[in-house]
Amino acid sequence: MSGAHSKKQYLVMFVVLTVLTAIEVGVKYLGLPRGIMIGALISLALGKAALVALFFMHLKNETRSLKMVVGLPMCFPALYAVVLIIESIARSAFT
Amino acid sequence: MSHAATHDASALGAAHPQTQEGFDFGTATSGKLGMWIFLLTDSMSFGGLLLAYGILRSGSHNWPDPSTRLGIPFTAGMTFLLICSSVTMVMALAAAQEKNKKQLLFWLGLTILGGLLFLSGQAKEWTELITVKGMGLSVDQMSATFFLITGFHGLHVFTGVTYLSVIWIQSAKGKYTDGPKASANNIEVAGLFWHFVDLVWILVFTFIYLI
Repeated sequence: MSGAHSKKQYLVMFVVLTVLTAIEVGVKYLGLPRGIMIGALISLALGKAALVALFFMHLKNETRSLKMVVGLPMCFPALYAVVLIIESIARSAFT
Repeated sequence: MSHAATHDASALGAAHPQTQEGFDFGTATSGKLGMWIFLLTDSMSFGGLLLAYGILRSGSHNWPDPSTRLGIPFTAGMTFLLICSSVTMVMALAAAQEKNKKQLLFWLGLTILGGLLFLSGQAKEWTELITVKGMGLSVDQMSATFFLITGFHGLHVFTGVTYLSVIWIQSAKGKYTDGPKASANNIEVAGLFWHFVDLVWILVFTFIYLI
């Protein structure tokens, strides 16, 4: 797991995360319609978070059991967030 | 250590051997498993704070656009700083795994410096927001949620800096590199916490500053 191969991987990860952050700030100033901007920003953020978890925190090369221990509970905040977003869209649509 | 644990569990007749096979955590030590479970509970705390922020914001009609008050370019720089300190953290881990003490101390020191720079940047930002922009906990909901969430994250950065400094001192004494039984496990576990702090900031930066 250690050695030159992983150091190269870390540097690639560094570039990818930096570029994604620049894209995020770019999207902010692009002046897209609000719904699209929020959707783009949330997916970019979740993508970056997943990259950090998989590569820097080495979740990628852990066993299935550890991935389950980490992944399954995280579904609940995600589910809650989806319900929150749908509810606020529905509320603004009907008022 | 894990072999002994399995022995104790079956000695207590706790788990049926078959179910023990189901939970194969491979090379992950109990320290790493413990840190992961702690980080799960911590992400529930941040999740709760961010969801409360989302609910308050979607329910209010006059929530100011963050970029009218918060400095986006400066904070983007802070996000970049935390990404850099995640990279130096994994470099420190790689050095520890190669038993290279000098490199370990160098990269770990850089990681701690990154954390300190982030904290001072946040202190400068907060001072400006309070004195110039007149934001404050009781001013409006936007300020209250902003200070609460970035403050809670800032405390995690401070904890991480303290944690890594202790690890740095232990590394200087050769605990993780010298001697046959030296292992880099504690460095990896500390790294998990630091990467989690970076991961949370990535989400906070997007939800609080950009959206």
